[in-house]
Amino acid sequence: MYLKLAWRNIWRNRRRTLITTSAIVFAVIASVFMQSMNRGSHEMILDNMLRFSTGYIQIQDYRFESEPSLDNSFPFGADFEQNLYEKHHRIESIVPRIETFMLAANDYSTRGAVIFGIDIEKEHAFNNLKDRLKEGAFFDSNNQGAVLGEGLARRLQLGVGDELVLLGQGRFGMSASGIFTISGIIENPIRDLNNQVVYLPLEEAQYLLSADGHITSLLVNPVSDRHTNSVTSALRTEFENSELIVKPWPKLLPELLELFEFDLATPRLLTVILYMVIGFGFFGTILTMTMERLKEFGVLLSVGMRREKLALVVFLETLFISFIGVISGIILSWLLIFYFHLNPVELTGDAAEAVMDMGFDPILPMSFASDQFYTQGFFVFVIAMIVFMFPLIKILGLNILEAARS
Amino acid sequence: MIIVETKNLSKVYNPDTVPVHALRDVNITIEKGEFTSIVGPSGSGKTTLLNMLGGLDKPTSGEVMVNGEKITGMKDSRLIDFRLKNIGFVFQHYNLIPVFTARENVSFIMLLQNRDKNEMMKRTDALLEQVGLGDRKDARPKEMSGGQQQRVAVARALASEPKFILADEPTANLDSNSAMNLLDIMERMNREEGVTFIFSTHDQRVIDRARRVIKMVDGAIAEDTLISVEAANQ
Repeated sequence: MYLKLAWRNIWRNRRRTLITTSAIVFAVIASVFMQSMNRGSHEMILDNMLRFSTGYIQIQDYRFESEPSLDNSFPFGADFEQNLYEKHHRIESIVPRIETFMLAANDYSTRGAVIFGIDIEKEHAFNNLKDRLKEGAFFDSNNQGAVLGEGLARRLQLGVGDELVLLGQGRFGMSASGIFTISGIIENPIRDLNNQVVYLPLEEAQYLLSADGHITSLLVNPVSDRHTNSVTSALRTEFENSELIVKPWPKLLPELLELFEFDLATPRLLTVILYMVIGFGFFGTILTMTMERLKEFGVLLSVGMRREKLALVVFLETLFISFIGVISGIILSWLLIFYFHLNPVELTGDAAEAVMDMGFDPILPMSFASDQFYTQGFFVFVIAMIVFMFPLIKILGLNILEAARS
Repeated sequence: MIIVETKNLSKVYNPDTVPVHALRDVNITIEKGEFTSIVGPSGSGKTTLLNMLGGLDKPTSGEVMVNGEKITGMKDSRLIDFRLKNIGFVFQHYNLIPVFTARENVSFIMLLQNRDKNEMMKRTDALLEQVGLGDRKDARPKEMSGGQQQRVAVARALASEPKFILADEPTANLDSNSAMNLLDIMERMNREEGVTFIFSTHDQRVIDRARRVIKMVDGAIAEDTLISVEAANQ
């Protein structure tokens, strides 16, 4: 009956309740929309970074973090891979890489380059790398050759079929040098990599660097992003007593996370301002609902209703108003985001070109992450709790006689 | 059997500025089954006395005993429970819960007492029948006349099976017919079920029905008259 009383009370002044809940609905939609837009672009950037750079989880030699050298590579073979797949069912793909810095040269000039020795089939299964080819193919029919980032190829003025000289240092100080025929040019979506990267077949790279059967990092990708932590924990347990360490992507890309946090500061501030405005409106409604019913409160206390039960009824009223607003807001924003998730806004003109230059599709991606919806519920609940303090204090300190006379 | 007793009850408002003596050493006893009117001009202290008897106001000195228990100085939460169990209230402005139907208004008091749901519903229906509103159980206050609302208020006051009912000017806002009808109901409850009623009133119609009239002047009891049943019925 307390529920019934609270529910009917909020509809005593239908218009006021509708205005208040509409304000909450508006705040939820605006807040979710802002977050979704920001997080959508972050997710796109992150997805590119993870797929073309670090992966979701990396296994490395524990010394590699402080000294990223080929000396700190570790052996990897089919048994290792098989063992991981068998023990961890949440692993979707395993991508081995050997990575180092070398000098890349043509007949006239030299540039610094990042060398990735890759298993192209595994790499493609993870990040569709072959689809980024602008020219040529990923290695020749004998699985040999080199694929250059478009930027590096332009700087060295090299094309498919030309020869590239790589010069550097292999494992344990061995000199490493070789001539490779360029089999393809790729457009890497990460600009820095696009200007520096040279892909070699894994075995070719291992041979060049005197690191047969060794890799510097093993990318482990869970079936879903949300399993990153659980797979990381399981792998850490597995490699507890070895020289290998397991790092999830937030440890691999801390600067990117900081950048995202910084970028989210503005929408968060706007959300706080928006909720403050809505909070005052909500407070106004509860204030009016309380003040115009002081006499009724006095009567209820006179006839034997305990103060805490009366406070419970008013608490339920506050909760109902906030829940109606939040649930409606979440449903409407879900529908809105769902639409824009399927039909993203397409960028045009300079903005589109700038985005395409960075290797992204010219769209405004919207995030569909579930937490951005339910966190709004939490915020409004907190506001409701703060707003409820007023009637609570009023009821606990109410002079029955004065209230009944009011 | 004494239901209510006051001992040297006094109430002074604004004691430090301009003292107003609302009650001066009031000593009364109300027996079970009484049908008592407290009368007097405005400002004579009758509403203040009623508030003291109901534990809604605190005396400056003296004490109030209800059913042998001293309610003066009782803690607020205990007093609320005490009122719920022992005292029924009928207000001048009815003061029903506007969003509840007649049935819900009456059963709400029993809900506060944590009574069994079936018993609650049976008693609610019986009380509404007794006050002649068997066919208006599902009406909300705004759908009822003043007289009907006040009858619901009487049913509500009776719902908790209190030791006595305090009615503050219960007929002040009613037309003659409604007032007579209400008085008939209260008188019948008093006669047939022994319910104790204490009214504060200006209304001669109520005073004429009372079997005891306590007249107050300037916060003190000026007259306390017992009227025989026969005289009251004439």
